[in-house]
Amino acid sequence: MLKYTLSRFLQAVITILLVVTIVFLLMRLLPTDYYFTEDELMKLTDEQKHDQLEAAGLLDPPLEQLMRYYKDLLQGDFGTSRRIKSGKPVVDVIGSKFTVSMRLGIISLVISLLVGIPLGALQARFKGRFFDKFGTVYTVFVNAVPALVSYSLVLVFGAKVLGLPSMYSVRNVGRSSILPVVCLSMGSIAHYMLWTRRYTVDELNKDYIKLARLKGLTNNQIIFKHVLKNSLVPLAQYIPGSILWTLGGSLLVERFFSVPGMGTLLTDAINRYDTPVVQTVVMFYAALGTIGVFLGDVMMTMLDPRIRLGNKEKSR
Amino acid sequence: MSSKAKTILANTRANLSGYNKLGSFSEDELFDVVDYVPSAAERTGYSDYSYWRCVFQNFAKNKVAMVLFIVFVILFIFTFIAGNIGNYSYDEIKPDNTQILIAPNSQYWFGTDNLGRDYWCQVWYAAQTSIKLAAVVAVGEIVLGVIIGLLWGYVRQLDAFFTGLYNTINNIPTIIYMTLIALLVGRSFTIMALSLIFFGWLVTARNIRNMVLIYRDREYNLASRCLGTSTFTILRRNILPYMISVIIMRLTLSIPGTIAWESTLSYLGLGLDASTPSLGVLLRNARSYFIDFPYLLIFPAVIVSLITITFYLFGNAFADASDPRNHV
Repeated sequence: MLKYTLSRFLQAVITILLVVTIVFLLMRLLPTDYYFTEDELMKLTDEQKHDQLEAAGLLDPPLEQLMRYYKDLLQGDFGTSRRIKSGKPVVDVIGSKFTVSMRLGIISLVISLLVGIPLGALQARFKGRFFDKFGTVYTVFVNAVPALVSYSLVLVFGAKVLGLPSMYSVRNVGRSSILPVVCLSMGSIAHYMLWTRRYTVDELNKDYIKLARLKGLTNNQIIFKHVLKNSLVPLAQYIPGSILWTLGGSLLVERFFSVPGMGTLLTDAINRYDTPVVQTVVMFYAALGTIGVFLGDVMMTMLDPRIRLGNKEKSR
Repeated sequence: MSSKAKTILANTRANLSGYNKLGSFSEDELFDVVDYVPSAAERTGYSDYSYWRCVFQNFAKNKVAMVLFIVFVILFIFTFIAGNIGNYSYDEIKPDNTQILIAPNSQYWFGTDNLGRDYWCQVWYAAQTSIKLAAVVAVGEIVLGVIIGLLWGYVRQLDAFFTGLYNTINNIPTIIYMTLIALLVGRSFTIMALSLIFFGWLVTARNIRNMVLIYRDREYNLASRCLGTSTFTILRRNILPYMISVIIMRLTLSIPGTIAWESTLSYLGLGLDASTPSLGVLLRNARSYFIDFPYLLIFPAVIVSLITITFYLFGNAFADASDPRNHV
């Protein structure tokens, strides 16, 4: 287990490093004109521009810049923002946005687990009946209809019928977070429902269920006390995927509801060529994604000791 | 012992003594070395089983799926002719201050948008763009995914490489890659299609790889290999039929998926440029208006959802029908 954890950790570090390097090099491929705002481009002479670029170290060979960047990273220096908040360290810029994003992300993760898994189990319990069919319609709807369209429908319904705010606002965090959280959880609820239902139905065909029935347990006891525990094990491997999904989805949701979070920051930073911010946010997402996948695997071993990681064939 | 049994016994004895005589032949006389003949290797007993006929028979039994399929085809065809039957053609519409946000009427079938342009032709043009992109990406993804999956599963030396590549790409939200590509390389139909394909092969390849691992060393493949069948033929004739249902399944998921990706990226300003109406661009433009003018949302939403849902459901049914294990 320790050996496996170490090798996975190493792999995660390499992945993140690779992504950071690619992003760094891509950003360096841009013409240097992007370094200046439009105003500066008009006013500054070529010589002034050259001096500024040289001072910022942008005219050195890319490899040298990359090495310098690695060195800074090792010392915990992520650089300073240039456009978004000129002169402030990137970590500070990200810090405030991070809280907003994470709050929404964690709330929606908890909601989707708490809602999705019981609903999936109930679907299996009432297999083939109205509730099951209704749940299937929901999962098909979420899977087939583009997220943007379903978000728009939620928005129109929420704003027109329920009178909820259609934009996130700092003054009214509670009420204005409702629609973004609903949109964020919609997809993962369907995801958990689908898989919980499938695994529970599989599990219900096993022999120990017959024994439980013979012993006189009720359907509800069987499903919620015996089956659910077993069907959650293979489900655990989908949790990291859904964390990734939530991360990716948050970019759209944040933009859609003007939430001032990491996703909005990233698109802003790229649009305004704030290179240090872009690099750090991407690194952050990469780290979050990698760690999420890793944690999912570890969680699976904790739920079911029979599963051993690090064998030649990984279960995922 | 009856007389019948006695004759059988006698016959058997005679046969056995015939076999004993074989000992006097040399090995060369007993065995003929045959060359590899593909048709002979494939020869089996008589069977009128035909894979695709069985698929279509199974599919035709599912009446709901047939109806969905017909609805999808009609919608699909209509998408490409609808632009020509409206009152305005897409090439001619231009902003008009006097015609802003008119509700649907006989003149403007889907109303007008916030710039006073006819919405009917924009919506159908957007649907066309989405369908074209989805078709290109889905086919590209499948082709790339199947090729990589086969290599990944069959060539053991490549396993570590592809697993590493898979993990690297898979551990990071795809939207990050897409964002970077859009802003650093550019935004156009081609770039978007290529980058979606480039990041979309993962799931298909993994499914195919797992299938190949399951079937590659089964006895019938071993037998095939002993008979001298080439690797390519084994993959094509012995393994691929099992994967067709998976491939169709991926295709089914990939088309709604691509349409969703397109709208997401275009909404974020990272997809197609604003002058090419696509679903994402339409909804992006309408975002501030559709609470008060819901028809701006309803028309594109209903059309696109109908296309994706019918395709998704009929694709699922077709994938079931194409699984050889469901054939009798």
